[in-house]
Amino acid sequence: MSTLAVHAEGVWKIFNEGAANEVTALSDVSIDVGKGEFVSLIGPSGCGKSTLLRVIADLIPSTRGTVAVAGMTPHEAREKHQYGMAFQQAALLDWRTVRRNVELPLELAGWDKEKRKARALELLEMVQLQDFAEHRPWELSGGMQQRVAIARSLATDPEILLMDEPFGALDEMTRERMQNELLRISKATGTSVVFVTHSIPEAVYLSNRVVVMSPRPGRITHVVSVDLRDRNEDTRESDAFFESVTAVREALRGRVAPVGEGGARLAETS
Amino acid sequence: MAGATSTTGARLRRGAISLGWAVAGVLVAILLWEAVKVLGSIITLPFETSDQAMPHVWTIAAGALQPEVRGSDTPVWQTVLIAAIYTLVIAFGGFLIGVSVGLLLAIVMQRFAFLERGLLPFVIASQTVPLIALAPLIVGIGNRITIGPLEWGQTQSIMFIAAYLAFFPLSVGALRGLQAATPTQIELMRSYAATPRATLWKLRFPASIPYLVPALKVSAAAAVVGTVVAQISTGGRGGIGRLIIEYSRETTSQPAKVYVAVIGAIIVGLLAAGLVALLDLYLTRNLPKERLT
Repeated sequence: MSTLAVHAEGVWKIFNEGAANEVTALSDVSIDVGKGEFVSLIGPSGCGKSTLLRVIADLIPSTRGTVAVAGMTPHEAREKHQYGMAFQQAALLDWRTVRRNVELPLELAGWDKEKRKARALELLEMVQLQDFAEHRPWELSGGMQQRVAIARSLATDPEILLMDEPFGALDEMTRERMQNELLRISKATGTSVVFVTHSIPEAVYLSNRVVVMSPRPGRITHVVSVDLRDRNEDTRESDAFFESVTAVREALRGRVAPVGEGGARLAETS
Repeated sequence: MAGATSTTGARLRRGAISLGWAVAGVLVAILLWEAVKVLGSIITLPFETSDQAMPHVWTIAAGALQPEVRGSDTPVWQTVLIAAIYTLVIAFGGFLIGVSVGLLLAIVMQRFAFLERGLLPFVIASQTVPLIALAPLIVGIGNRITIGPLEWGQTQSIMFIAAYLAFFPLSVGALRGLQAATPTQIELMRSYAATPRATLWKLRFPASIPYLVPALKVSAAAAVVGTVVAQISTGGRGGIGRLIIEYSRETTSQPAKVYVAVIGAIIVGLLAAGLVALLDLYLTRNLPKERLT
């Protein structure tokens, strides 16, 4: 089997270690994400799901444990633009056009102007915003802005997408449309996705596996495999979908016995 | 969805409207001036409204056209205009130096938190030193500086004082601006492995514009005030400050003269504000209208 998209083993994150205000955000967390796999992290606030995502992204260092991203250290992976990120806020730069927002990671990766422009237009076509390339972000709706942010996160053709509640600020209808779009894009590009969310239906609809986390200390309590063949609007009303939603909900309530002591070694995939 | 193309036209229209209001404001000021004089002739006001202290607007206008000294060809307005331009040039120099120093300070304070803690109190303390006390000190120290062919003269001292006043609002405003990028935007730049310099140019600096523009306006005004006051307190030749001093000694014979010089100083301030407004228009060309100050 080829290298995993993300491999984390025995990861701890302790803020202010040794001080009076010490907080254990992640406690012995282990998780593997296979190539092309879609994994959601779900759990109540403070369960460490965003912290785990930031450790994978090398935005914060782990306290203990090993993390590999695309077979490299998180630091190398970040330096080599191996992952793309999207957040709850689209965080587009107001002073740049939509196209030049998508070009930003390419500029920083040292691409030349013509290649940058061509790639950005290609990505905007993928998120169906080609007609808005020369608009300013503030002229776009929230959903459109988030689509630009997704196009931007895919700019360097990364192995992995790390998403922190990217649809959290959108209305329900836009949100469902965006979910379909994300599934289509991740399938077309073969990108692995680690997706942080609060929403159970969203996690189930999108993921191959849903990783359930619990707070104080942040840890993985359950891993729910979701088997939903082709996902489309009908899927949202199918029995298999509701079964998985129920399974995740029960896991969140702690009604099912948690997986092994101190974290979960996840089943290998693909 | 707003059309991006109409923004320039809308801005010009807004500019024309502001100009109309400005002209109306000047007319109102003239009317008020005369009204106060009329009122002062009827009842007793707590201040002097005689033609000696408050000459009529037309007396001031006539005063501007009179020759500088008896028998000379140069009218007063011409002397004032030359002095005003000279003052504007010095103020502009002080503004440029002040803005450069202020920006540089803001950049290092943003980059190194310990410098913000260490420098900011001094930056604030620098402004509590009274300008009048500072001026002779700078002239005194400056007189002893010669770097090669460059000699520190009165002009340099005046420019220094203007810069000293101008750097402060800019450094404080720019520091806030450089810290205005959202945490998400900063994490995003980090996820791209952007260097601090790239983060500064591509994110922090453009994100600071809405804070920088008002800071530039205050700095420009400070540079003009600094120049005029420094010219008064150092007696710097050629500037509007010196003219105000000289003409105020002639109020008994020609009361209108000093007002001509004061109007000259006002024009310097307005020109400086106008230049900054143009800069503002350029800097904010890509930003949403709501952000405009």
